[in-house]
Amino acid sequence: MIRALKGKNTWVFSALIVFTILTVIVSITYGPATITRADIFQCVMYECASPMHDMVIWQIRIPRVLVGLVAGMGLACAGAILQNVTRNPLADPYLFGIISGAGLGATIATFTLGDQQSLALPLAAFLGALFSVVIVFGIATLLRNMNHLLLTGVAVSFMLGSISHFILYLGDPFATNRVIFWLMGSLARVEMFHFYLIGAMVLLTLLTIFALHRQIDALLLGDESAASLGVNIDKLRLILLALCAAVTATIVAYCGGIGFVGLMIPHIVRQLVGVTTMPLIIGSALVGGCFLVWVDVAARSAFSNVEIPIGIITSAIGSIFFLAIMYRTRKTG
Amino acid sequence: MKLTQFFCLAIIAVLSTTRAQANNVDDKLISVIETSKPKIIALSPHIVEMLFDIGAGEQIIASTEYANYPLAAKKIPRIGSSMRIQLERVIELQPDLIIAWKSGNPSDDLARIKQLGFNVVYSQPDSFNDVAKELRLFGKLTGHSKQAEQVATKFLADLADIKKKYGNEKPLTGFYEVWSRPLTTIAKGSWPQQFLDICSINNPFETAETGYPQVNIEKVLQANIDVIIQPLSKKQAGVDGYNWQQWPILPAVKHQQIIILDADIAHRMTTRSLHALTDLCQQADKSRTYYQQNTDNKVSKN
Repeated sequence: MIRALKGKNTWVFSALIVFTILTVIVSITYGPATITRADIFQCVMYECASPMHDMVIWQIRIPRVLVGLVAGMGLACAGAILQNVTRNPLADPYLFGIISGAGLGATIATFTLGDQQSLALPLAAFLGALFSVVIVFGIATLLRNMNHLLLTGVAVSFMLGSISHFILYLGDPFATNRVIFWLMGSLARVEMFHFYLIGAMVLLTLLTIFALHRQIDALLLGDESAASLGVNIDKLRLILLALCAAVTATIVAYCGGIGFVGLMIPHIVRQLVGVTTMPLIIGSALVGGCFLVWVDVAARSAFSNVEIPIGIITSAIGSIFFLAIMYRTRKTG
Repeated sequence: MKLTQFFCLAIIAVLSTTRAQANNVDDKLISVIETSKPKIIALSPHIVEMLFDIGAGEQIIASTEYANYPLAAKKIPRIGSSMRIQLERVIELQPDLIIAWKSGNPSDDLARIKQLGFNVVYSQPDSFNDVAKELRLFGKLTGHSKQAEQVATKFLADLADIKKKYGNEKPLTGFYEVWSRPLTTIAKGSWPQQFLDICSINNPFETAETGYPQVNIEKVLQANIDVIIQPLSKKQAGVDGYNWQQWPILPAVKHQQIIILDADIAHRMTTRSLHALTDLCQQADKSRTYYQQNTDNKVSKN
């Protein structure tokens, strides 16, 4: 691992680590409640000046920043892994139909569970996301072509989306609103528990990549070359895809739909540190984490009275980025 | 999201069919609120309006977007919208009481606010009677019981007068246009259905499965509609209403019996909704007279 980060990348990673630490510290100072930096410093280092500061800093802002960090890390890592494993630069964890599956789960929970939904909605969304992944894998396996995985994901995504829309159409307008707003993504409702949960999933992902990064690098050479190097391609793909699905589903369950992070961040990081899996994943984790924390700062501070759903901002930035990639390909291609 | 689509969602949100579970506030909460004039965060325009009605407007320390009536309400600081409530601001303001809209505010935010230890009371007026009940409840909670009782009693008396005056008129068939794209109307269980019931207007879509069904224009053309009721928000007037003039086959269009209501008043669950109710009943009465005279003329010509 250390070797992978040495050489020309040393400076890049040193800068990224410093930037990540600064991001976490500085982002805590932004929010709609008026608390001075001195008060925040006192609250974090010693004791809060008032119970109000204590509540805002420790129960709202710090969990939010930390969940933003690990959720960004998770989405960017999942995107980077998928792009390397499928050798498709446009692969994104949401293309498995995860967001549509989670949306369907959230829709069903919203219409059936009444008052219990604040607890049950994340679970239903998680199960919905896993359901979509299982269907996508199942169909791709039946087709005996893992290259069709992403196309299958698009098809399943539309299928589950249409079921959700049908239920929403028949249901109570309020519940419809709730699901639509939930799908836009937000970190406003997160707690420390979510940080531990998503953090654990991201850690598991990183550890797995540390163990398997040489095999993933072999995949970049093509399936035949990887097989000739002794890599069990199907097993490796299945493990990695399942891991990406699990981490993305966990993030979607608690944060809603946050699009384009998994697509965009690995592209940026590849320009900085190259395509090799190890530096790409670590770089993606750091940049993705910082990106989402800053997007959330914008979401909660851009307007004094209203909060913007985070998914709207990531999708807006992501779509422009997407067009820029295409423009660049046209110029050089 | 386009502004018009947002308004669509907001208006549809106002027209909830969710059953009330709101008013079962036990007396414990009233004793928990230590001060006689508690500081309140009111999380919906209709709650703000009701609190002003009972004299508790000055106790409101924050509200959400679109709380624009009465004029004084425009000065209240905003801490979010129907989509998201700024939790940090709630904590910063330290309210004694939060009155939330059960089905209109984000349930996850409300759960978090309760978890943080704030007193939350829910509002969910689904009918005119619910409005009176909630006025009394808010009176108890804010220390304005006497004024609340007066307002509620007058509201119910005015309602009874309107029912008595228009409830037994000859029925008309009416189409209530909630939204034009897609064409959406009302059915049983929706807030506006009670307007039609009281003004003796039959709704051909009353038995639809959902409270706010989308309907095909073909079905409307078959329904022999005498009056079209088009509630328009001041911001939408002339822009988003359905263009009925292209269907002169409808009696309502042929005879120009299109009733325009102020959506901002009709769809807000407060005492002002009776103004919209009276307006509708009066205009429906004019239509009745028009049709009556038309029929009489035809008969006399024959």
